[in-house]
Amino acid sequence: MTGAFFISLALLSSPVVTDTLQESRVTALKEGIPTARLASSVTVLGASVIQKTGTYRPGQLSAMVPGLYIPDYGASLTSTIYLRGLGSRMENPVMGLYVDGIPVLDKNAYDFDWEAVQGATLLRGPQGTLYGRNAMGGVLSLRTLSPSDGARPSALLEYGTANTVRAAGFFTAGNHAFSASFRHTDGFFRNTFSGALCDPYNGLSLRWKWEKGNYSNILSASLSSEGGFAYGQVVDGVPMPVNYNDEAGYRRLSVIEGFRMKQELPLFEVEGTASLQLLADDMQMDQDYTARPVFTLQQTQLSGAVTAEVLARRKEKDAIWHPVTGFFTFYKLNRQKAPVHFKRVGIQELILDNANKNIPSDIGYLSIPDEQMPIYSGFLTGSWNAALFHQSVFRLGRWTLTAGLRLDYEGASMDYDCLAQLHYQFVPTMKAAKPFEVPYRGNVTHHYFQVLPKVSALFEATDRLRFFGTVSKGYRAGGFNTQIFSDILQYQTMTALMKDLGVYLDKPMVSVVAGNTEYNPEKAWNFEVGARYGKGNFRADAALYWIEVRDQQLTVFPEGMTTGRMMTNAGRSRSLGAEGQLLWQPGNWRLQASYAYCHASMEGKALLPYVPVHTVFALAGYHFPIGKTVLSADASLRGAGPFCWNEENSLREPFTLQADARIGLSYSHIELYVRGQNLVGTATHSFYFKSMGNEFLAQGKPRQLIIGLTYKF
Amino acid sequence: MKITNLFTFAAALLLLACNKPAQPVIPQESNFKGTVTVIYQDAPFDNENIEVNFKPSADGKTGSLTIYQIKFVPQMPVTIDVTIPNINVTSTPEQINLECARVIPLAMGGEYPRYTVTDLKGSIVGKEISFSLNFGSVPTSYKGKLE
Repeated sequence: MTGAFFISLALLSSPVVTDTLQESRVTALKEGIPTARLASSVTVLGASVIQKTGTYRPGQLSAMVPGLYIPDYGASLTSTIYLRGLGSRMENPVMGLYVDGIPVLDKNAYDFDWEAVQGATLLRGPQGTLYGRNAMGGVLSLRTLSPSDGARPSALLEYGTANTVRAAGFFTAGNHAFSASFRHTDGFFRNTFSGALCDPYNGLSLRWKWEKGNYSNILSASLSSEGGFAYGQVVDGVPMPVNYNDEAGYRRLSVIEGFRMKQELPLFEVEGTASLQLLADDMQMDQDYTARPVFTLQQTQLSGAVTAEVLARRKEKDAIWHPVTGFFTFYKLNRQKAPVHFKRVGIQELILDNANKNIPSDIGYLSIPDEQMPIYSGFLTGSWNAALFHQSVFRLGRWTLTAGLRLDYEGASMDYDCLAQLHYQFVPTMKAAKPFEVPYRGNVTHHYFQVLPKVSALFEATDRLRFFGTVSKGYRAGGFNTQIFSDILQYQTMTALMKDLGVYLDKPMVSVVAGNTEYNPEKAWNFEVGARYGKGNFRADAALYWIEVRDQQLTVFPEGMTTGRMMTNAGRSRSLGAEGQLLWQPGNWRLQASYAYCHASMEGKALLPYVPVHTVFALAGYHFPIGKTVLSADASLRGAGPFCWNEENSLREPFTLQADARIGLSYSHIELYVRGQNLVGTATHSFYFKSMGNEFLAQGKPRQLIIGLTYKF
Repeated sequence: MKITNLFTFAAALLLLACNKPAQPVIPQESNFKGTVTVIYQDAPFDNENIEVNFKPSADGKTGSLTIYQIKFVPQMPVTIDVTIPNINVTSTPEQINLECARVIPLAMGGEYPRYTVTDLKGSIVGKEISFSLNFGSVPTSYKGKLE
């Protein structure tokens, strides 16, 4: 607490408010034209709304951005993102993330505490042409404090429910800007098995930005250690408290070094961006989430990636023809170890019971006397991408026409090295247990090309009213299902063990093998029309979209697998939706709202699980100037749902609204505020899943009250 | 006279050759494929395409038979490998004889007394093998050919 206070005395806060929806200014986006002229749905959130809603993590953008839903469960590596009905629980995200123009490659690094974020721009809908892989649902671009912003040094300190302490600050000096944030929370959910809170969090984020002329360098690092996985079993339809016996938690170190430069030529400007990204993390999980000793997972990753992009575009912003041409590439190497330890109950119920049910009892039975049976899995995965893209924007009177094309090549190769170790005995024939090892080693590789076109048109009916239409394509990268390897090893072990015994099942166990753990890229075609209106302090926009998804990536439980789940290309899906957002700032008022409807279904039938049909956000704020003092009050409602939890749509979560509010009193350089989140204590669930036939739910965070202080030096 | 002597010499040579005793067949490790017939509830139950490995000892006096993936009753959801050790092996110039009065077979990692083998009798003649035995109380026979 004291440490957090001292950290807070070092740094940052909120500079000039740049407000939201459709700012007519150039952002860090690649398009290079004002967002108001983009023929895409776009949400721009300024520092003011980010601050007043207490937004400092991507998940808190849920519903503020129409159609965006990032449920808060698991741990920081979870980062499940749904946007316009696209998304899944595992593997690659459907939203690209850029911080100061640097792409964040690893989804495990998406969820971090923001420091000195001055604006967030989210392009909704497939943005594959300029942004390539994983920009299938959209692109979120964050802009952090720059030395040239001229902001005064500032510090922030918050304290709230669950002993949550957040301290943040920034200062600029010459060509440098420094920012930092620290957060601690005791946690919100108690594990009844241990009696301790299971989701504590401690995290530190640091950022240094240097800018000089056309060059800039950004170095950021975040370090966190947390609990998590607050999943409670559902018994007879009633959600129970968290109750698991094994260790669970997540630690992560993420470092991103990015360099950007711009070269001015007579007609064109050339931008170069390069980054080096390192991520080391360690996740421990009680995989059965019960109080019984079944099985655990420890997953450690060490990955390094380099990215590079060169982009040339015409300097003259108002020229009739505004081309953007670029080349992007990255290489990423990831070493992952994911040992699964089967404990006594897991050995008996998941392995022996499955094996022995096929062996007539009068012949004998299989026994594994080990207290723990490890299945070691190691993966060395290299992935690479190279892309050429071009987009031309033509301004023809009231029309802005855009056409673009990207050729994306991606490949990946994974070496797997797995080993199961155990002792086994067949009773009554074997007099003693015998040591047994099953290695499983090999390599899988895949490559593919994607062609990502885009055409759009924007018509300026009046100075205030614009209509647009877009057809674009995006894709989410394919990959390998490393999670399923412990199941494959269970199968391989049983098969080898039975062969060693000389026993063969009439109906052999079914399993995937390494060769079919690959899943292909998911592709989405987006057809969209929209309108945008702005007059004085009022702005509004609306869009209708139709997204056709091919090779939908879906998490499934493969046939014959007892514990594993894997990503597979399950076929086609379709998202039909409508989105709208508005901002009105009459006098001292600030009114903001966004709404999205999304009907995302498999082949026009069952609704896609985990995707909310509605997202709603409404904020009303007022500030009272009283001399040098300003009293501000903001209240907001945020809602999402209903959801289906499973493919059969038999389990549903209703639509729920959560109320937040903030009251602030500022005088001169100081602001004191109280903020409440989920004030009514709405009970929600953020995640549902099944493991070993048991159902689990993650509960949403309870009511939180936070008191905070900001000081601008 | 010369012709008579020559004929006598040739006849003597022929006689000498005919009197040399024929050599017994030397047992060698061999794999066979054939059909196991189990008498189940007084009716024959055939396991086809069953592989059998015959492995003699170093001195050729004993041997083992391993029957791969045999099923003793149709309802068995598994097949098992069974090895019958300590079989007496005798050879004649025409065949190899296999015989074992009683032995505990090896299966599923160890001795499997439930299916103790009794009255094993069989032979390997040329490229063919046949034997019969009782696995416990289950009369069983096998006929196969060299693979």
